Amino acid sequence: MVSVMEVYQLLPKTNCKKCGLPTCMAFAVELLGKRKAIEDCTPLVEEPKYETKLAGLRELMAPILSADSTETGMVIHTEKCYGCGNCVVACPVNVANDPKGTAIGRGPVSGKAILMVEDGVVKCVNVDQCRRFGDEKVLCNACIVTCPSKAIEFI
Amino acid sequence: MAGKKELTVVTYRGIFQEVEEALGMYSDGYRDQSALLELDGGDAKAMGLEDEKLILLETASGRVVVTAKVSEDPHPGIAFMPASPWSSQLLSGEVGEGGLMELKRFSATVTPTEGAVTSIEEIVERIRAA
Amino acid sequence: MAFCTGCSLLCDDIEVDFEGAKVKRTLNLCRKGRGHYDSLLVDRLAPAVDGSLVDIDEALSSAAEVLEGREKILLFGWGNSTLAAQKAGIELAKKLGSVIDDPSSYSQGLITEKVLKGELPTCTFDDVRNFADVSIFWGDDPSSSHPRHLSRFSYYPRGEKRQRGYEEDREAIVIDVRKSPTAQIAADGFFKISPGGDADFIEALMAALGGKIPKVEDKKRMLNLGTKLRKAKFGAIFTGLGLAHSLGGDLDAFFSLVGKLNELTRFSVIPTLGDYNTRGFNQTLFDEAGHVNSVSFKDGVDHGPEFGIAKYLDSCDAVMVVGSDPTAVLPAPLAKKLAGMPMVAVGTHRTLTTDGADVTVPIGVAGLEVGGTALRTDGVKVEFDAVVDSDYLPDVEVIERIMEAV
Repeated sequence: MVSVMEVYQLLPKTNCKKCGLPTCMAFAVELLGKRKAIEDCTPLVEEPKYETKLAGLRELMAPILSADSTETGMVIHTEKCYGCGNCVVACPVNVANDPKGTAIGRGPVSGKAILMVEDGVVKCVNVDQCRRFGDEKVLCNACIVTCPSKAIEFI
Repeated sequence: MAGKKELTVVTYRGIFQEVEEALGMYSDGYRDQSALLELDGGDAKAMGLEDEKLILLETASGRVVVTAKVSEDPHPGIAFMPASPWSSQLLSGEVGEGGLMELKRFSATVTPTEGAVTSIEEIVERIRAA
Repeated sequence: MAFCTGCSLLCDDIEVDFEGAKVKRTLNLCRKGRGHYDSLLVDRLAPAVDGSLVDIDEALSSAAEVLEGREKILLFGWGNSTLAAQKAGIELAKKLGSVIDDPSSYSQGLITEKVLKGELPTCTFDDVRNFADVSIFWGDDPSSSHPRHLSRFSYYPRGEKRQRGYEEDREAIVIDVRKSPTAQIAADGFFKISPGGDADFIEALMAALGGKIPKVEDKKRMLNLGTKLRKAKFGAIFTGLGLAHSLGGDLDAFFSLVGKLNELTRFSVIPTLGDYNTRGFNQTLFDEAGHVNSVSFKDGVDHGPEFGIAKYLDSCDAVMVVGSDPTAVLPAPLAKKLAGMPMVAVGTHRTLTTDGADVTVPIGVAGLEVGGTALRTDGVKVEFDAVVDSDYLPDVEVIERIMEAV
């Protein structure tokens, strides 16, 4: 998981406020939360002396900003996934939303499951139902610790 | 080139190998998932081996060239190999004390080598040779 | 809904869309199962005699010719056959006075036979899901071989007495020489042993269960395991090749351990068998002959290791392989012997074995192209229909037609 400090280390650390925030640390928090974009830090993008930092930041943020990453920061490495459904069955949201399907080890039957196995690999749907989504989020890791191949991570 | 080593080889099945098997035993994918040996980091270092280097595996029954994979977890003296026609080439067919033919475990000499991974066609040829 | 015959869990909640014979989309099918489904269009076996393509009728009559007049035929395979084909295969063995065997003779046959005889307590996967609080995976890595084992039955699902989820309600113990993908998720429940170390582990665990100090490095951990197992309300042990082979086939120590556990509480054994219907063959032959493999029907019923493929290749004079690839699996010296035999191969796909056969007879993939019944690895009967059109014959028809012709 990418930490705020890791992002902060790659910012200008001048607290110039050009992004509209009081400090670079605050910008790092917003960037990780995807409420700001890298381009909002104009000195970083425009000034050649920050070239190395910019490249590092883009690399660090790539998985977070990629299409695979959902609103919750969940990344599924489908090339590693076994499609075993451990995460599907262990997910507390699936258990609550789909008691006659995923909760008892079967494929989803309710249409309210948030994890399911499609084409042999796991897929996240109805992402706004994930416990990691939104302001009230909790750091649930049921889908990570149940994975035999480390195919899921949160960033 | 650094030296050879005698290792205990234990066979196993992996899911990606089984998928490749279903999609064709003569495929490159099946060979890539089968013709390999997982080595302990320390053992690999002692033999001057890195990930993806080729090794020759020899027993009294046969010899094959496979790719070395260096494990994250330590398991000195032991190497793991997917059960496949490549590992079968190294088995003796002897029956153990309890009456079961040995398929899971054997002792093999491992030597760093060059050239190419043994092809499945070559294995088939050896099996058919009188 | 479709079934999956990719492994012996026989998953029955698969949704699949086809575009002709090509699989377009699947739901609930694991990665291995998807490979099995996708294999419908890859490397299919064709009817052939001496490497030349023929029509199916000619392949069948040629198959009968290979077998006819032989004194010592071995009928081998059967794990990827429907129950009906297995039954027909045993009838064929009787008619020919031949030997019939399956890969269980070099894997878990001994464990399965004990289960079928009632000498090892067992239960169904549904019992495991509903009641099991301790699951032991011994030399067994179902995450790789039977990917939905833990999610459907043995660790993660909610069940009748297991409503609170695996963290509170269940315990997974993995005993293995390798940190397998199953061991990975068992975390603290993983007991790493040395190759061949199962006997020592059993001895230490027996001591711990008996309240004695075990002779192992980490005494406290072994004593804790003993306590955990003693306190289990409903334990299940899933066995794999690793256990069977570590003990070289002498499983008495393991059987004693299961006996001891059952004096203290309840522990059931379910072998994790490879092919989709290995359990079916073992049960069918057991019902017929009292043994799960290595049976000769030459003079009535005879059984013994001399009729297992490892030994019988020395004396047999023809082989028919059905739904199995022994050439790829058997040790090189045995594969060579097999290659020298007159051979008929019946199967769905091209394999190392079919490539070496004198006659090949293709059949449909069960559960996809043809229907049938099979026994899940816990012994529960599962019936499936075809879900895609195909011209391939069902395996039972092929065996019956060979039987008529010999």
